[in-house]
Amino acid sequence: MSFKAPVESYKGRVLEVTIGKGDREITIGGETVLSSNQTFDEGEFPNAPKIALEVWDTEPQGWAPWVLEPYKDVVGDPAAWAKRCEEAGADFIYLYLLSTDPNEKDTSPEQAAEVVKKVYDAVKLPLIIYGTGNEQKDPAVLSKVAEVMSGENLLMGPAIKENFEPIANAAKQHDHCVVAQAPVDINLQKELNVKLTRILPADKIVLDPLASALGYGIEYCFSVAERTKHVGVMFEDTMMQMPTIANFASEVWKNKEPKQAETLGIAWEGVTGMTYLLAGANILVMRHPEAFSMIKQIVS
Amino acid sequence: MLLIGENIHIISKVVSEAVADRNEKVLQQMAKEQADMGMDYIDLNVGPARKDPEVMGWLVQVVQEAVDTHLALDSTNPYAVEAGLKVAKWPPLINSSSGKQESKERMLPLATKYDCEVIVSVLNDQGIPADAEARAESIMDTVAYGNELGIDNERMWIDPILLPVSVSQQGVVACLEFTQMLPDLLPGVKSTIGLSNISNGVPEELRGILNRTYMVMLDRHGMHSAIVDAEDAELRDLARGKMPEIVELVHKVMDGEDVDINSLPPKERDYAKTVKVLMGEILYSHTWLET
Repeated sequence: MSFKAPVESYKGRVLEVTIGKGDREITIGGETVLSSNQTFDEGEFPNAPKIALEVWDTEPQGWAPWVLEPYKDVVGDPAAWAKRCEEAGADFIYLYLLSTDPNEKDTSPEQAAEVVKKVYDAVKLPLIIYGTGNEQKDPAVLSKVAEVMSGENLLMGPAIKENFEPIANAAKQHDHCVVAQAPVDINLQKELNVKLTRILPADKIVLDPLASALGYGIEYCFSVAERTKHVGVMFEDTMMQMPTIANFASEVWKNKEPKQAETLGIAWEGVTGMTYLLAGANILVMRHPEAFSMIKQIVS
Repeated sequence: MLLIGENIHIISKVVSEAVADRNEKVLQQMAKEQADMGMDYIDLNVGPARKDPEVMGWLVQVVQEAVDTHLALDSTNPYAVEAGLKVAKWPPLINSSSGKQESKERMLPLATKYDCEVIVSVLNDQGIPADAEARAESIMDTVAYGNELGIDNERMWIDPILLPVSVSQQGVVACLEFTQMLPDLLPGVKSTIGLSNISNGVPEELRGILNRTYMVMLDRHGMHSAIVDAEDAELRDLARGKMPEIVELVHKVMDGEDVDINSLPPKERDYAKTVKVLMGEILYSHTWLET
């Protein structure tokens, strides 16, 4: 008699969210299992996790030389920088609109939208657009971006509890997806999701529960990210079934240790990324090309 | 279930001002109101009262002049509690001692000295125990310590320490499990809980339904008493058996019986949804009644 291993499977499913349009369409989510839980026939993981590479709309200050090096000839030109990331094999371009922050250059929503358009035209990848988390400025910036890029189905955020309404309304009007961000708190994440789904369909939402770096409180972020998947996949909570994004590169590289040694820094980013893959992240946002290739090999 | 009115609490601005000004009338009025609302005990919370432990003695005398209701002397400071015990006309309930070494050595012996009953919490020097089993382990030690001091199980009111549902939903479930285990664990002990704590941090208008639902759930598992918001009329009605249909519904949902929640009238629906959350079946969010 042959042995048949008992298989534990779940009834919940992470929602499939499609980002981008036409040739640049990418679908994430759709799994009925927890991350890496595919040894037997537990369920399916139809869309492997995807990786975005970072592009900033303004020249970064204080980056470690080894993380700046691969981009140093393009950091003044977001479109050229995005092209570089595309050549490196990124699935998404993550465009960080740092210059719009009132504490930075306070550039206008129109200027920001122009940069987004340029980057979009320079590559054939779908875009993820992040404001700086500024409660007042982000809605103005993201609404303008939504309008200028109308119909292109970008993923934009972060929408937080203080400003999700204007951002979600703009995304709805111009057909984009939104990142719902809560501060490492699963209860607040659910509340935000409930409120967002009154404006947007659930399959236009991606969750950002925040992701800290290895050694800097990653346990908390891991727990919340993993538990999000438990609640959605195992307990079928429809308000927690959106795919997740782990945006940790800036958290890694702002620390002392990765700035002191190149090999260590790259490994730091890679291990942090691997950790969030295990927590079930559907999109990773990364910075260093070598750390990126390391994770890319694992997911593909 | 016995109700302990929590409204004379030093965190309340009215109370802290009245205590600071030694305004007897305000506090006597609050005590009378709680007595009229049928509270079995009135809790007198003076906080740690480090600078002025004698304040409890004053407060006890003031309240005793106005009402005959039993009193619970609420402070972590044994000097304050003893100041109240010295002047109490009849033995009050000490609120509270815990498994912390200092509390065992200084608070618990007051129950022997003044021959009164005492709330004993599961808190210990390591903090609040994580789950029902850890709570059990902690309380066994402390109750054994109390027994050695000559305090019978019957004189100890066990408090499982309830955290807000928005902070620790697992803790809410653990307190239910613990309450269920308690009669087998320590036959004869009584029990109590800081009920309103479950809804701390929750929008004001949503606090009552959490408090009330959880009270009915605890009552079912044999909870002896609860420290409650005396002003919640619906909570009092529930505790006094005036809303049997709601109690029955809560029990049904607890038992996992097939209840078509969405076909219930609004009030019943809210209770049923709240049970699901407090059983840990549905992830808590402030929007739990809306989904």
